[in-house]
Amino acid sequence: MSVTTNPPAGTPAADAPAPDPNKVTLTIDGQTVTVPKGTNVLEAARTLGIDISAFCYHPGLPVVAQCRQCLVSIEKNPKLQPSCQQIAADGMVVHTTDAQSTLARKQMLEFTLVNHPIDCPICDKAGECTLQKLYFEHDNADSRVDTPKVHKAKVVDLGPTVVLDQERCILCSRCIRTCDVVAGQHQLEFANRGDHEVLTTAPGAKLDNPYSLNVVDVCPVGALTAKDFRFTMRAWELEATPSVCNGCATGCNIEIHHKHGRAWRLVPRHNPEVNDYWMCDEGRFTYHDLREQRLAAPTVDGLPAGWDRALRAAADQLAVGRANGQLAIALSALHSNEDNFALAKLAKAWGLSHVYVAAKPPVPARADGKLRVADINPNNAGVKAIAEALGLELRPIYELDPNTRGLLALGDVLPGVEPGRLKELSYVAITAHERGPVLQAKIALPATAWAEAAGTITNDKGHVQRMHAAFPPPGQAIAGWEVVVRLAQATSVDGAGKLAWAHAREVFKDMVAAVPAWKDLTWAREARPLALRFAGSRG
Amino acid sequence: MAADASTLKQLVLGRKDVQDLTDTEQELPPDLMTVNMGPSHPAMHGTVRIVLTVDGERVVKSDVQPGYLHRCFEKESEHATYTQIFPYTDRLNYVSPMINNVGWAMVAEKLMGITNDIPKRAEYIRVIVSEMSRITDHLTCVGASAMELGAFTPFLYMIKCREWIWELLEKVSGARLTHSYVRVGGVSKDLPDGFHAELTYTLDEIDKVLAECQDMLNQNKIFRDRMAGVGAMSKEDAIATGCVGPIARACGLDYDVRKDYPYSIYPEVEFDVPVGTTGDCFDRYLVRLEEVRQSMRILRQCLKQIPDGPTMIDDPRCALPQKRATYNTIESMIRHFKHIVDGIKVPAGETYCFLEGGNGELGFFVVADGTGRPYKAYVRSPSFVHLSTAGQLIHNHMIADIVPIFGMINMIGGECDK
Repeated sequence: MSVTTNPPAGTPAADAPAPDPNKVTLTIDGQTVTVPKGTNVLEAARTLGIDISAFCYHPGLPVVAQCRQCLVSIEKNPKLQPSCQQIAADGMVVHTTDAQSTLARKQMLEFTLVNHPIDCPICDKAGECTLQKLYFEHDNADSRVDTPKVHKAKVVDLGPTVVLDQERCILCSRCIRTCDVVAGQHQLEFANRGDHEVLTTAPGAKLDNPYSLNVVDVCPVGALTAKDFRFTMRAWELEATPSVCNGCATGCNIEIHHKHGRAWRLVPRHNPEVNDYWMCDEGRFTYHDLREQRLAAPTVDGLPAGWDRALRAAADQLAVGRANGQLAIALSALHSNEDNFALAKLAKAWGLSHVYVAAKPPVPARADGKLRVADINPNNAGVKAIAEALGLELRPIYELDPNTRGLLALGDVLPGVEPGRLKELSYVAITAHERGPVLQAKIALPATAWAEAAGTITNDKGHVQRMHAAFPPPGQAIAGWEVVVRLAQATSVDGAGKLAWAHAREVFKDMVAAVPAWKDLTWAREARPLALRFAGSRG
Repeated sequence: MAADASTLKQLVLGRKDVQDLTDTEQELPPDLMTVNMGPSHPAMHGTVRIVLTVDGERVVKSDVQPGYLHRCFEKESEHATYTQIFPYTDRLNYVSPMINNVGWAMVAEKLMGITNDIPKRAEYIRVIVSEMSRITDHLTCVGASAMELGAFTPFLYMIKCREWIWELLEKVSGARLTHSYVRVGGVSKDLPDGFHAELTYTLDEIDKVLAECQDMLNQNKIFRDRMAGVGAMSKEDAIATGCVGPIARACGLDYDVRKDYPYSIYPEVEFDVPVGTTGDCFDRYLVRLEEVRQSMRILRQCLKQIPDGPTMIDDPRCALPQKRATYNTIESMIRHFKHIVDGIKVPAGETYCFLEGGNGELGFFVVADGTGRPYKAYVRSPSFVHLSTAGQLIHNHMIADIVPIFGMINMIGGECDK
């Protein structure tokens, strides 16, 4: 889409190239814009930076034009038109700031607020509320209503994840369409008419689809709130850091909303190639795991130890297996490319010909042809690519060689390896969590979890996606690749110099040079946390 | 041969009597000596360090180094809403915070295009509190300088007057020093009951004290000897270095923003701009003293002329709704919420807005990006400009002269280290 500055409307230059039949050119507020055929006026205006106010319109949902907030005047058309539904046509002249449409916006907002409860101080959406934003920008007038407000149900339990406040609802139907489109299940509906109209589920039915929390994101007001997040944190006090969901192999793009060194919620980030505007509920809850059973300090035989002592002990433990060629190294499909690449390089340096991969077993029931897939490991594809590029044979961990005496494993899952068997091994774990097999480890070295370190993961479609560190890790944990670097130095690996990275960026650089499929990848700029308070109400 | 370092050290430590030294050893070394003055020194107004190179007692080179206060006013402003910046401005020139408040309000109002819509009563209140602040500013400067030259009594008298005014301002704003009283679009609250009578009484009392102080200082030989002819600056130099306010006026430069670029209700009151002739410390002192009298003249007129009416503009873009409406209507609730959390939406643009501060032209340059906080804020603080002349003014003077010169420059750290 291209933008030109204000030529006289409707008079194409004589020597202009033949117009593209798949594009239309229209004028909005005096600016000319060319957009693909079929684009609506609201989207065309957004390409010019003109943000037409709207409640019910969402770029990822079908258009219904029922909030009437985006009315604009179009020349030669006697009535105002909803810009979300109006398809842009050649030569169309649109005005968004004339008296008629300005007044329409004000009046629609006044109507919308007639029965709206005075809930901002206790409303979870306050600070990121589209209604607040549009009222402040487009109306900002005092109330003229002196009749009592219509009262409706306040705390309606819609299902396992979402609570509805019918008074706050402005009846935009975004949630209904989200359930229809994203989950493919029609679970919400309007009931009654006029100012008694409410959002509801059918009697006995529940909002229980696996994508139900997307309705909270699309809700322009605080009508739908997540049970998981409500009354925990004020939205404007949060900071947002872009990242990627580590819940499964889809790798939905997300924002981590964090404050005080912990995550408070995960929300989807738009990426048309991966997850569009959505993510599943299961993925949203993965942030809880960032605070559970974390390993905060190195342990030797289950007791906390300093890094130096733990590393020396780890070197001793692994030396036995190394001497006899009975050492196994396990990569983890739950860790980033950088962590795995560093460990794979160590395996190479130790002369191993094969490595194991530890991954959670697939959950076939999860796969729904939408965002949820059976593979619940975020980085299986990355581990495969790295092992292949380094010429290491990759075996699943349950095929662990019975002669193995030493095991250096990334992550906290080792499916198929019995605890009793682990106990006999000289097992050194590099892990973010102290649970499962890690409890049998002789040495456990604390690593960062996915939200705490810069890195990349590779999803099932082969997209290598960047994660940013949102907050510091607990205690003495350091990035997984950094643990490997320290371990390499402690065990005085031949060519340990090659494993002396100082930043994830350097690991990444070596990694993309080694993996042919990734050779064009670049390390994106570090993202600074965005204070939601100053991001305005993003709606 | 002069005394070498080890001998000097012995002298300083008292291990050797001067009488025991030879004649040549008794002479001070002829070399230049480097002396640190500040950053924390009783005669330095604020934390500023001067690295002096002295030839005996005479300053031959000086390096004035501000920056010890780490105020970060300008950078902090980028992270606060326009309203939240008022407390920061209090701490610029903290001896006359009201004027800084007014300046910040004016720049936001200019960007919003509501400069001419501020209610008359609010404008009068702003001028009243500004002129009260100007009096405190000058009294502090003159009183402290006199004290540093040994005149402790005038200092106590003047600080007593300053306290009367600050007590009044505390009644107005709720805070003795950091008022945060002015708002974009008006002032935060009306004047308290009985303010007129109290201010009138206070002004009369200050008149008496000023007369006393003048008697004690103007013909005082010590004071005159140390002020007159010291630290003089020519009119041309004042213009070239960007000096403003009492310092420039003492040099004979007739420049006062209140007269030359009138703002607020200054055109409606009568006052004169005192101008000096010699540009030395004594003239700076006289100009400041006369400005106090002129400010009192303005105050007396304001008290007569101040109209009744609202003290806040009736514009939902910057006026907070009434509490009653906030609690009872969703419209006002949202507006209140947005004003507090997101801040006043100031349209995109950039502007410079200036007024007469205690030390001269105080200006704010703001680049707005249409959000609730400035994209960039810059303050043209007179102290910073004046401090840049300090090195030139103390050149070739005695070390002791630094005290009155620095006192009369009236460097205020909070404003200088922005």
